[in-house]
Amino acid sequence: MSESTDASGKNGTARVAVVAAGVISPLGFGLGETLDSLRAARDCVTAVTRFSVAQCRCKTAGQVPDERLLAERRKCARPQRFHRAAHMMIRALAEALRQDAKFKPELTVIGTTSGGMSYGEDYFRSLHLHGDLRRSPTWIANYPAQKPVVDALDTFGIRAPCQVIANACASGTNAIGHAFECVRSGRYERVLSGGYDALSELVFVGFDSLQASTPEKCRPFDRDRTGMVLGEGAAILALENLDTARARGAPVLAEITGYGISTDNFHFTQPNPSGSGPRQAMEHALQSAHLSAHTVDYINAHGTATPFNDAAEGKAIGELFGRGVPVGSTKSMMGHSLGAAGAVEAIVCLLALQHQFLPPNINFHAPDEDADLNIVANESRPASLRTVLSNSFGFGGTNASLVMQKFEA
Amino acid sequence: MSLAIAGMGWITPLGGGVDAVWERLLQGDEAHAEKITEKFDDQAYTVFRVPDSALASLAPHPRLRRASLISRFAAAAGLAALEEAGVKLDPRNAERVALVFAISNGGVIYTKRFYRDIVESGAQSASPLFFPETVFNAPASHLAAILGITGATYTLVGDGAVGLLAIRMAEDLMANGALDYCLVVGAEEVDWLLCDAYHKWRLLRLEPPVEPFNEVARGMILSEGAGAVLLAREGLIKIESTHAGGYYRKRDEAEDVLKRILCDLIEAESGFVIASANGTFIDEAECRAISQVIPGAIVYTAKPALGESVGAGGLWQVIVGGQALRQGELPPLLHVTSKIPLRISASGSAAATARGAIVLSCGLNQQIAGLCLGVDR
Repeated sequence: MSESTDASGKNGTARVAVVAAGVISPLGFGLGETLDSLRAARDCVTAVTRFSVAQCRCKTAGQVPDERLLAERRKCARPQRFHRAAHMMIRALAEALRQDAKFKPELTVIGTTSGGMSYGEDYFRSLHLHGDLRRSPTWIANYPAQKPVVDALDTFGIRAPCQVIANACASGTNAIGHAFECVRSGRYERVLSGGYDALSELVFVGFDSLQASTPEKCRPFDRDRTGMVLGEGAAILALENLDTARARGAPVLAEITGYGISTDNFHFTQPNPSGSGPRQAMEHALQSAHLSAHTVDYINAHGTATPFNDAAEGKAIGELFGRGVPVGSTKSMMGHSLGAAGAVEAIVCLLALQHQFLPPNINFHAPDEDADLNIVANESRPASLRTVLSNSFGFGGTNASLVMQKFEA
Repeated sequence: MSLAIAGMGWITPLGGGVDAVWERLLQGDEAHAEKITEKFDDQAYTVFRVPDSALASLAPHPRLRRASLISRFAAAAGLAALEEAGVKLDPRNAERVALVFAISNGGVIYTKRFYRDIVESGAQSASPLFFPETVFNAPASHLAAILGITGATYTLVGDGAVGLLAIRMAEDLMANGALDYCLVVGAEEVDWLLCDAYHKWRLLRLEPPVEPFNEVARGMILSEGAGAVLLAREGLIKIESTHAGGYYRKRDEAEDVLKRILCDLIEAESGFVIASANGTFIDEAECRAISQVIPGAIVYTAKPALGESVGAGGLWQVIVGGQALRQGELPPLLHVTSKIPLRISASGSAAATARGAIVLSCGLNQQIAGLCLGVDR
């Protein structure tokens, strides 16, 4: 589906460059700290502090520390009213714009799953318990999913319209993929893309109620995996037509060359055990990039560590790529940041390409007999990478894959 | 790139079906107002609900068994749009159809229920049955499963402008020649909690009528339902152009953003404007922008009759615009009580000679979008 062709069937030919990037996640504030954490295989999952988890099975998550996030918040019009998701977006966007201050997007495409959900929780809790509702206008106005995006854009005077994609856990990859197709088709020259999500009680308890989250360590693709842990963060990738980027002397960090999307109608919260949905997304991404499977040097897997996801994804990867390609899930280090995950993991892929290493899949002890994969177990390692693939799959059967390549002029 | 509307589906508080709802709008009908209450608060609110009869023809489906109302509205509207277009999806062509879903408040009924259990009884009492329905893309997923769509499915979240932004996104997707159709659906359900939030935000009035373009913005009435538009490459009603949209920082900037969008969209043949005026601050911004940029155009909004359905609202506006071009007639604009510098749609306003229409959507939370419809006469 995602083969980029115009209405007459002609292939879209524009090459798409990543010219700037920014990230904030449990791995660190910015690309440098993220790189350090990845190389050191740092476990950034900690005990939840934002709300009570006394009645939950799972007690941990990947968290962005508030004291640092809010202490360094920018001087903007009403920063104290912003949701902390907006502060994360502002941090990520600030880092990207420091690399390329002249980047003027025509469109913004951002993924999220829950927007400013914790403000909705504050509002409902105060209302229901007859508490203090003086802040309710702030909670209500800053709850909608587009608000953190608009707040971030406005902080830097960017007036580009925004599309906010909420495709569950695939949102971030869908946002970057759609932005990629917008540039590749020639309809846009510069599109800002990414994803964000902040930890919220409702979502945390939701995954706990489904017994999808684990009281133990997150062990993607391990034989003894018991589930996911949640995370949070924001990431931005500035995409531009390669020709215009080079013409204005912009840095080219990498190229996005392929994107695939599929919808698996098997079940709302579980993938088809055959792996057909993930496989279809990966096949489409490879077709879109005009590449064959054996050219892929690393797969950043969705790898939530739930028994169902990893089995289906592992099956699809095994069938399509064989055992050779190194596979890892960096969610093992920072948790699953939902709508931000695809964007944060695109940054991980970008860093892997730039610094020629394989990011680790930590907490891995025993291979799963049902999935014969070459897991990047527990430690990062140097590698020669030219092409990497990043997967994101979500509730509702939405599957997305992205192909990123080292830039070669 | 020109796209066309191949089929439309409409589930509203005035019933279901494009022709039936249209007939009621032409007659000047408005939806029945219903009071809703909440056990933990004394305040009552008024909403426009979809009558049960509007969903009578929706066949049972396993995916809809536990689904929230919003998913049922979306399924009924989506299926109707495909039926009107005479398009039947099967495994061979399903991958050549994309689904773009517009939503604002989402599955608020189950979300409230799920979180209420947490607040009242703790996390251990949270139901795993409700949580999946709280996810924004639940209605789109159910609809994709019902239709058998296996390719691109996107849920777009935003304010009242999200419906038009979804059509813009569909246009971007249709630039891909591998797609034959894109089904764009907007849906929303109402709940006491939403009413209370909008009321605390000073955007809701407690009783109808909705008075568009009034000197005093007394507020809107929330409503529920869905609208669906099947986009194809050929059809009677064309999507002549879409605007990527914009956002305003403060409310008093909305007028300037609307003017910019109108100036980009305006064509000599734009005979009328389907506005998003709903009794709030956006009315004044729209009134000023329209009267300055396109003063000769007839202006209509269906929100006094149908209410403000937020995520579904943009799709409803497109359906109104398309139907007016198709039928050559506009319904009367209800409850205009102030003297305003606009040519408002009176009873039986002729649109027979109009070859184009602008649909304008100003959301309540900073987003604005617009598009231009056309018809070959």
